[in-house]
Amino acid sequence: MWRFMHAMAIGALLSCAAYVYSEKYQTIYAAEQNVKLRHLIAKEQDAITSLRAEYARLTRPDRLQELAAKQLDMQPLALSQIVKADALPIQAPHVDSIGSKLESLGLFGDTATPTAGLTGATPAVR
Amino acid sequence: MSVDDVAAGDAAPPKQVDWRQRLWALRRDLFHTRLDKSQGRLRLIMIGMFAAYAGIGARLVHLGASHEPPPMLKAVADQAASGSRPDLLDRNGEILAKDVKTMSVFAEPRRIIDKDEAVEMITAVLPDVDAKELRARLSSHKGFVWVKRQITEKERQEIFHLGLPGVGFFPENKRVYPNGPLAAHVIGFVDKDNIGIAGMEKYLDQQSLTDPHVEGFAVDPASLKPVQLSLDLRMTHALRDELVQGLARYRAKAAAGAIIDVATGEIVALESLPDFDPNDPGDVKDPTRINRINVGVYEMGSTFKAISIAMALESGKFTLGSHVDARDSLRFGRYTIHDFHATHRVLSVPEVFTHSSNIGTARLAMSVGVSGHQAFLRKMGQLDRLRTELPESAEPLAPKHWSELNTMTIAFGQGLNVAPIQALMAVAALVNGGNLMTPTFLKRTAEEAQAVSHRVVSAQTSESMRYLLRANATHGSAGFANIPGYYVGGKTGTADKIVHGHYTRDRVFTTFMAITPADKPKYLYMVLFDEPQALPEDGGYHTAAHNAGRVTGALIERIEPLVGDAPQSALPERPFPMIARLGYGLDADKVGKE
Repeated sequence: MWRFMHAMAIGALLSCAAYVYSEKYQTIYAAEQNVKLRHLIAKEQDAITSLRAEYARLTRPDRLQELAAKQLDMQPLALSQIVKADALPIQAPHVDSIGSKLESLGLFGDTATPTAGLTGATPAVR
Repeated sequence: MSVDDVAAGDAAPPKQVDWRQRLWALRRDLFHTRLDKSQGRLRLIMIGMFAAYAGIGARLVHLGASHEPPPMLKAVADQAASGSRPDLLDRNGEILAKDVKTMSVFAEPRRIIDKDEAVEMITAVLPDVDAKELRARLSSHKGFVWVKRQITEKERQEIFHLGLPGVGFFPENKRVYPNGPLAAHVIGFVDKDNIGIAGMEKYLDQQSLTDPHVEGFAVDPASLKPVQLSLDLRMTHALRDELVQGLARYRAKAAAGAIIDVATGEIVALESLPDFDPNDPGDVKDPTRINRINVGVYEMGSTFKAISIAMALESGKFTLGSHVDARDSLRFGRYTIHDFHATHRVLSVPEVFTHSSNIGTARLAMSVGVSGHQAFLRKMGQLDRLRTELPESAEPLAPKHWSELNTMTIAFGQGLNVAPIQALMAVAALVNGGNLMTPTFLKRTAEEAQAVSHRVVSAQTSESMRYLLRANATHGSAGFANIPGYYVGGKTGTADKIVHGHYTRDRVFTTFMAITPADKPKYLYMVLFDEPQALPEDGGYHTAAHNAGRVTGALIERIEPLVGDAPQSALPERPFPMIARLGYGLDADKVGKE
């Protein structure tokens, strides 16, 4: 009986120790991961900062102006080009110009298209 | 047979026995509790334990009591490295200044084995480092010296591959200004240690928003909130671009301009040429590169007439319908005051303004009197140093003995030198309804501005000034800036410069101020040129209308659509209701015909 109790106690002790050590090593591992992630975040933040600065540098107004003058076939905005929405001319009603031309030619009725079966140009099966 | 017998009898074998038995006895004694000896042993153990713990305790006390922590490399580097600063943004959130991380190379001279080799190898990678100076630095007995600040990634790689012991890298902050010279005078710049030297950068340090080298106080970059300035990057660019063109076209010594939001007192754009790139400020003491808006003091010329006429109207002695005699030149002692555009007739107050009559303005000021004139100018902030957030400011130059002649000349802008930003502040107050507020370079709302402002002229006087400025755009000298659709009002100012104690017509200082729109002004523009040259294509004039006026016109045409103000096809219906009720000119556009 006592022997069994001792064995149990030693077993419990060993399993406790194993558990504690595994917890400890996991904690150390997690802490290391934490530090690594922090470094990674700091690195990313630095990268974001320098990219923002670079973006601001690349989109600085005088550079854009120079590029636009060189690369784009555009003119500076004239004040006369700015108008209010209601000052725009009213859109004319839609005219079907092809349709009206066909009608004037008297072709508006059913067209005499040859049937498919006769020519064989279209597949027979639908 | 006892043990003793054996020892006494035989020599060799009993000795063996003796040795064994002694060992046995020692073992037995060691594990045998002898009550007669235990007390002594306990005492011995206690003394030993006490001595050990006393030793540990004494060492702890010694460590705790010593004030000097052992110098650690990181602490030294932290002290030497440049700290973080908050970002500077424009009013729309565009970046004006930002910190980026860079690497700096340092060395620990004590740990460098072969100094000559180290110097040779480092200068091979960093050719701009002076070998002699580096050798001197490495020969010192310091624990930490910089080799080179802010190196590129490629240089870092190369130094790393040298594998020199005692040479390392430390991350630092480097201030970058992505827009280069844009708004350089407002932003200012920092030194290698990221400490503000000029402009808003210095202001930030003075506000102790950043204090990178206070011991034990490391600034966490994430805790620094960006600071939003009142500047608008796009407007500033437009202003600088037009000024650069103007400077080249008129071959002037200098050009400057500013745009202020009259309702809030925010400076939305400020440029002074020649300027500098804050990324590489170079010679900062060069006097030609000062901020002419804040630091230069100039005789503002006819733009000052706006203040004088406002004073006359505010005094109650004159109305817009009053008339002033400008038939003859005004004699005072041995001085004579002439008109540049002489009319030789009696002028109404609006005509005094649109014809820019020196005689008329001098007469108006004289009827207010010297003390009244001084009091009004002081109220308008023209006689005291104006301090904004920028550390740079200038004291106005007022005459020491202020005679009647001084009042007459100052009324039309001669004899009192003020910083242009002071004049800008005063005119902004004259047109915004009469509230004077210190211009600011930080973003603020109209309510915040209202809280720090105070009334200097009545709403009616303010409306009269807007009416006069508008009249001057249609019938006076401000025609070049009268951009259709924006109901512009403006005033020119051409001040002759003093050369060898005399005013000369050849060298002038020209200013132009314009408001848009004149009935409800939002922005007040100011452009000035120092010694612009007359161009044959402009008819050979070097007066303000032909240089500052044209540039302001171009600015309005460019900036107003930029900030979302579309040109209006019709003139405002009732632009000046108070003036109309009093019966003086319903429409400013007709003033010349009355």
